[in-house]
Amino acid sequence: MPEPQARRARAQRAEGERSRQAAAARGRRRRVGSDLRVWAALVGASVRAQMQYRANFVLRSFLDSLVMVTDFAPVWMLSRQFGLIDGWSLGELALLYGLVAVSWGIVEGALMGFEDFTTYLRMGEVDRWLLRPRPIGLQVAAHRFELRKLGRILQGALVLGFALWQLGPSAGDLLWVAASIGGGVLFFAGAVAAGAALQFWTLGHTSELQNALTYGGTAALSYPVSAYSGWFRRAITYGVPLAFVNYFPALAILDRTDAAGFPAWVPWLSPFACLAFLLVGLRLFAAGLRRYESTGS
Amino acid sequence: MIAHRRLALYLAYARCSFRRQTAYPLANWTGVAVNLFFFLIHVQVYRAFFGARESVAGWKPDEAIVYLATCESLLMVLGVFPTQTGYDFAERVRSGDIAIDLVRPVSLWARSLAERFGAALYYALARGAIVFAAALLIFRPALPRAPELLWLALSLPLGVAVGGLLAFAAQSSAFWIENPRGAVQALTLLLWFFGGTMVPLDFYPPPLRAVSDVLPFRAAIYTPVALATGKLTGASLAFALAHQLAWTALLVAAAGALERRGLRRLIAQGG
Repeated sequence: MPEPQARRARAQRAEGERSRQAAAARGRRRRVGSDLRVWAALVGASVRAQMQYRANFVLRSFLDSLVMVTDFAPVWMLSRQFGLIDGWSLGELALLYGLVAVSWGIVEGALMGFEDFTTYLRMGEVDRWLLRPRPIGLQVAAHRFELRKLGRILQGALVLGFALWQLGPSAGDLLWVAASIGGGVLFFAGAVAAGAALQFWTLGHTSELQNALTYGGTAALSYPVSAYSGWFRRAITYGVPLAFVNYFPALAILDRTDAAGFPAWVPWLSPFACLAFLLVGLRLFAAGLRRYESTGS
Repeated sequence: MIAHRRLALYLAYARCSFRRQTAYPLANWTGVAVNLFFFLIHVQVYRAFFGARESVAGWKPDEAIVYLATCESLLMVLGVFPTQTGYDFAERVRSGDIAIDLVRPVSLWARSLAERFGAALYYALARGAIVFAAALLIFRPALPRAPELLWLALSLPLGVAVGGLLAFAAQSSAFWIENPRGAVQALTLLLWFFGGTMVPLDFYPPPLRAVSDVLPFRAAIYTPVALATGKLTGASLAFALAHQLAWTALLVAAAGALERRGLRRLIAQGG
């Protein structure tokens, strides 16, 4: 075959490949778009269902906005009685609390279905989800979209606002706040996915373990990670990257250096560490789903 | 004779509730691990707060550790999580299944309380004892030795009773509003905040302390836990026990009244 013809044939093949790829990408985009529409419709249904018990919804939104009474009040009372913890003042602890409260509030509200996964596993709801032609993660996420958690997010934002107002932050600091909240959302999404995944193996008998990572994690993060003893600090830095949710970003915001001697560039790893944890959580969930056997109920 | 038979009936409910809890041993072991995890977090926070100081507000570091260990061991016993006995009577009110319960010659509140005591006994043996022993082994704090500790035999059951009766009151909101979860959530919030969970009332600011001393919530947590830590003696012990007794009596009366009023309102749809 003469040289120019061969080149043209190659060019045509490449062209065809490119257009096929483009079509596939368009299809994926359309697919993602329609998934999003389905998600929105399911979330709408979930919210409408919550509104059926209007008095209950109002009461629980209000109670969720009071959650700092149990979460932050101990921090306040202890710091009032004892003074500094590892050199951190109440205003600085408020920054730690606010960052976590906002990101955890978002995940708890949007992904409550994963927290309640045990129930769905036992009641056979998971079978129903698997029959539908949509990703199961999307259906779990949309199944319980708790609007009332806005109250929790709001109170976290209030504490965060108080902390920032005291600090007088620069524009760079605000970027760190955004990075910390974004990272926290990724991390906690990974945490609830991993917790739900665990239930595939233990059939809901370990649902309390889910609380250890989420409620225990948020409780631990109300104080600087440097206050914890060596092995615990290592576990929540290298094992489960809790320290990257708020502690390292807070160091950057407060221009502090870590007492345990982490180098100054470590805070920059925060979003990536959180993203990595999300990927682990999703992997676990997918692995659990592969070994899922219906209870038949 | 009839009273005697009644008592046997409630004891049977307590026994069944105990046995229901034993059905999920793996869940209990997970719970032990989680209790210890939370305990470890709290102890480290307190240690960091104490720093090198010998005592703060009259509390030594060892006393704080014993307080946290007792608190974490007794959380499930005292029923800080109101719906864990498995008898969710509020849900039965909503679904109408309550009609079956009404056929039986028992009162709803007394049955709830009996089941609460059965669950409390299970969690004392299978959860509390293990968590407490492990907590002591890890940190080896000095334990309180005082004759006052004998009062726990009275204070602990009263704590379970107050917690159980408060849970019944919160759940009986189901008679008036369709979904009782809000009231149950409110109760949990109040128990944690005014009960002295994880932060002893001695560390509260004075006005908050005064309010907490009047409300019933400390009877369900702080009193038994502080007593076990050896922090209640003399006048404060006498007050704490009187406070528990008074609230138990008041809540028994209130539970009876709520049940009567609620049942008068109840309409169970057949089906």
